[in-house]
Amino acid sequence: GVLSHLEMLEAQAHELALKQEETEQQEEKLDRLKARVQELRLQRDELRAKVDLQQKRLLGKEGVVTSGVPGAAQPSDRAILEWKVKSVQAMLQVFYLTGISGKLTKHGVCFCISTAYEGTYLDSYHLDLITKPEVQIRRHSVPVFIPLEQLAKKYLQTDIRRFLSALSDHLNAYAGRRYQADQLQERFSDRLEGTLQRNSLCNMLVFNYNMSGKKQTFPFSAKLLYGDLCRSLPTEAIVSCTPGAPASLAERTAAHSDVFRRLALHKAFESFSSPEESLD
Amino acid sequence: MENSMYQVYEDEIQLLEEEIKMLAEKYEDSQQESTFFSDEEILMSIKSFQGEFQRELKGHESPSDLKAQLESLETDLSFLMKFTGIWFTSHSKKTVEKTGSRTIQKHRLSGNCHSLPFQLEFQLLEIKNKESVSAVITDLNIIMESGEYSGVSKFVSSTEEHGNLLAFFRSLSSYAEWYEHRRCTFLHFK
Repeated sequence: GVLSHLEMLEAQAHELALKQEETEQQEEKLDRLKARVQELRLQRDELRAKVDLQQKRLLGKEGVVTSGVPGAAQPSDRAILEWKVKSVQAMLQVFYLTGISGKLTKHGVCFCISTAYEGTYLDSYHLDLITKPEVQIRRHSVPVFIPLEQLAKKYLQTDIRRFLSALSDHLNAYAGRRYQADQLQERFSDRLEGTLQRNSLCNMLVFNYNMSGKKQTFPFSAKLLYGDLCRSLPTEAIVSCTPGAPASLAERTAAHSDVFRRLALHKAFESFSSPEESLD
Repeated sequence: MENSMYQVYEDEIQLLEEEIKMLAEKYEDSQQESTFFSDEEILMSIKSFQGEFQRELKGHESPSDLKAQLESLETDLSFLMKFTGIWFTSHSKKTVEKTGSRTIQKHRLSGNCHSLPFQLEFQLLEIKNKESVSAVITDLNIIMESGEYSGVSKFVSSTEEHGNLLAFFRSLSSYAEWYEHRRCTFLHFK
């Protein structure tokens, strides 16, 4: 009857209202998306213009400075200067990578000697020099066991470049020896008995080892002497085997001595784990 | 069904965002080219910068600070080049990867050491940890004329193999000095 008809109309009205709300929401969302697209398009176009201008400049095309590309502003003087500062700073950082860098000071110059082992950069050391009336070392961060005084006496007054070069050789060799000992300790601790013994200059190393991890005994004993302080490989490698060890091991000491003199310490141990070696 | 209506816009938004990211990176990378602005442009900027903004006293660096900073850096750079004999003629770097504390940049460098020209490129991996930054060189490529000395090409390929950029420059420096000395000696006796 009438009531049910009214109910039906009410339900329909309710449904219509819901649908309307839904449509409104959809339209709102569409509007938002459209606006976002416009915003991004504008941003993208501006960037494109900026990059085009930049690329033209890089290719050295004439007339770029005065051409009016809409939306791409000519960089301000401040921006150009800031760019130049960054560019020079980047160049100075490259000097750090070459091993000798520095900066001028009120009283002379402060050099920075960087060290590296193969591609890995290690510690760097500073040397603050006074240049007048004669060249003198004002301050430095060179470790005490590096023969700085000797080198200074020999070269500092007559040839600063040679002095720095010699110092760099000593420091790089020391850094290289230390790096190898650290690498051995870090990566092959399971093959070493305890920690390896070393002096501050890292030119003498003593350790007991085996050739593969998880073993209980360390039949080999090595003493490495680095007679040349400007080199990071030992001049002498004395390898011995504990008495009573199987002959197959005892026979290897000569080969090991040879490997230690030819290869960096961690690389020597890497070679020990290759298939031919794991016979013990 | 209604979703397809949004999809078109959402797709375009995603494409635009990616394009913007790529363009921004390209812009940044190209800015790193060391020959981006010519020396005349820079000189002009320095002059007009100082004149125009003499009265500006806002938060950023005052013009004389910026100019002084640039002069001090350039003096250091030219001192180093004169002292070491290593002259860089161009340098560019490009960020290859940047995630958290890891940054990998590809560098291209060319220059002369005394009279010997060289060109090289390498990747520099830097990892920032609490107190310091560690740096490792990979993919080192060196182009250098070996001239009459086979020793040069041997040493170039061995430093390349181990990424030993530092050793390359140290050795190049000694070799170039020796080479220069030898050349001068020969000329003297001609």
